[in-house]
Amino acid sequence: MTPQETLQADPELSALEARVLDEVAAMLREVIGEEYVANMEITMDTSFAEDLELESIEFVTLSAQMRDRYGESVDFVGFLAELDVDRVIAMRVGDVVRFIAASLAEAGQAH
Amino acid sequence: MGRVLFVVPPLTGHVNPAVGIAGELACRGHEVAVAGHASVVGALVPDQVPLVGLPERVTPQERAELEARARNLRGPASLKFLWEDFLIPLGREMAAELGPVLDQVRPDLVVVDQQAIGAALLARRRGQRWATLATTSAEFDEPFAMMAGVERWVRDLLDRFEAEMGVPPPERAAASGADLRFSETLTMVCSVPGLLRTPPEQRRLPPGTIFIGSPAGLRRLPATDFPWDWLDADRARLLVSLGTVTREAGSRFLRAAAEGVLTLADRLQTVLVAPPGVADDLAAAAPADLLVRPMVPQLELLRRGRLEAIVSHAGNNTVCEALSHGVPLVVAPIRDDQPIIAEQVVRAGAGLRVKFGRVNAAGIAAAVTTVLDEPGYRAAAQRLRAEFAAAGGAAGAADHIEKLLA
Repeated sequence: MTPQETLQADPELSALEARVLDEVAAMLREVIGEEYVANMEITMDTSFAEDLELESIEFVTLSAQMRDRYGESVDFVGFLAELDVDRVIAMRVGDVVRFIAASLAEAGQAH
Repeated sequence: MGRVLFVVPPLTGHVNPAVGIAGELACRGHEVAVAGHASVVGALVPDQVPLVGLPERVTPQERAELEARARNLRGPASLKFLWEDFLIPLGREMAAELGPVLDQVRPDLVVVDQQAIGAALLARRRGQRWATLATTSAEFDEPFAMMAGVERWVRDLLDRFEAEMGVPPPERAAASGADLRFSETLTMVCSVPGLLRTPPEQRRLPPGTIFIGSPAGLRRLPATDFPWDWLDADRARLLVSLGTVTREAGSRFLRAAAEGVLTLADRLQTVLVAPPGVADDLAAAAPADLLVRPMVPQLELLRRGRLEAIVSHAGNNTVCEALSHGVPLVVAPIRDDQPIIAEQVVRAGAGLRVKFGRVNAAGIAAAVTTVLDEPGYRAAAQRLRAEFAAAGGAAGAADHIEKLLA
């Protein structure tokens, strides 16, 4: 899915969120690195546990990628550490995308 | 000579290590007993170790329903289910029912499975000397490194459990920095430090933590119950097993594995542990290449069968048994501690991971080929074999226990 398609697919998504969604999806594909995920549509509703089967070790790699891309302004490690068990279970890509977009907007990196 | 009581939950993978150590202590002349639920534990405890049966509060049907629900869960949802629907209720039962057992047996030491928190609670309250047996190293490998909230949740759950059992706040484990999952006197971990993400010398483990390697000992299935003649001398030998619990959920994976390894039949014979109906047709079509059995004497296969590799769900017992024989693995973790144990295997260079839910026949064949052909995997497993040997296994564990009996 191209960024344009993402935008059209979900009018509720801001341009920044759509951009971040594409970036996060690309990072997830790289972290998981398997064929099935290369062909999977990753949306705001994709769940980390059920759909992506992301293991705890893969969160470590993902957070390193996010640090490389977004730097200090996005504290993904802090975000994860604050989640209670039910939010960990239910976590969807959209939760992470919205957190990143909000962090970037706050840090003035939204452009 | 001392008197030692082992307390085990009704989970096969937790019973076998306890029984290995109990058998070793019995051979050394100690008085040893195992307390557990006869419906699950009975068949696993060898004759020379008496079983103290705990009341069967969970009917076989309820147990089957629990297992069926557990099979549908992965990741943190599975952890939550394990604690809320299985371990806490089990803890309540054990806290209530083990008192009379302790009065009767009057052990010098109680060896409590790490998940039998009711026994740990009771031992702490009674001033009974107790040790922990951790049948997986997951809890010592920063399992919630990124998810601090999950670890907080477990701690809160344990504290609420103590509160519910009437332990006043100052006497609860947390009040003294203790934890029902870790005895400060002795916590024996079925693994070796070389498998951990952070070496123990760089990170503080709970006090009293000792790594005992693979304590596998006596098993129920006699080694005679295997067609040893079936194995060729001139092909590599592979075992595919999803262990004792997860087998019935693994039909898709097991079938894919069977199809995958059959493409390698020119160089490979495979023993597949599977229930009837999964791959019998494949075995019938290639009887010299694939052997399907509902159960195998796994330790004997490692010793006598000279396995070249194991495809496993990364259950800790199978992984430790394989590595203590220097055998590399292809791991397909399903749930619970398995992703962490699988990661240990990969990090140590002793195997490759595939996705249990997604991998196909070609993917499994490719992973097996890589592990067989690239000598690094076997070399890493051989290095770990030496570390497992040094950890001492059941005999090493018995030595540590004897120090507490002196």
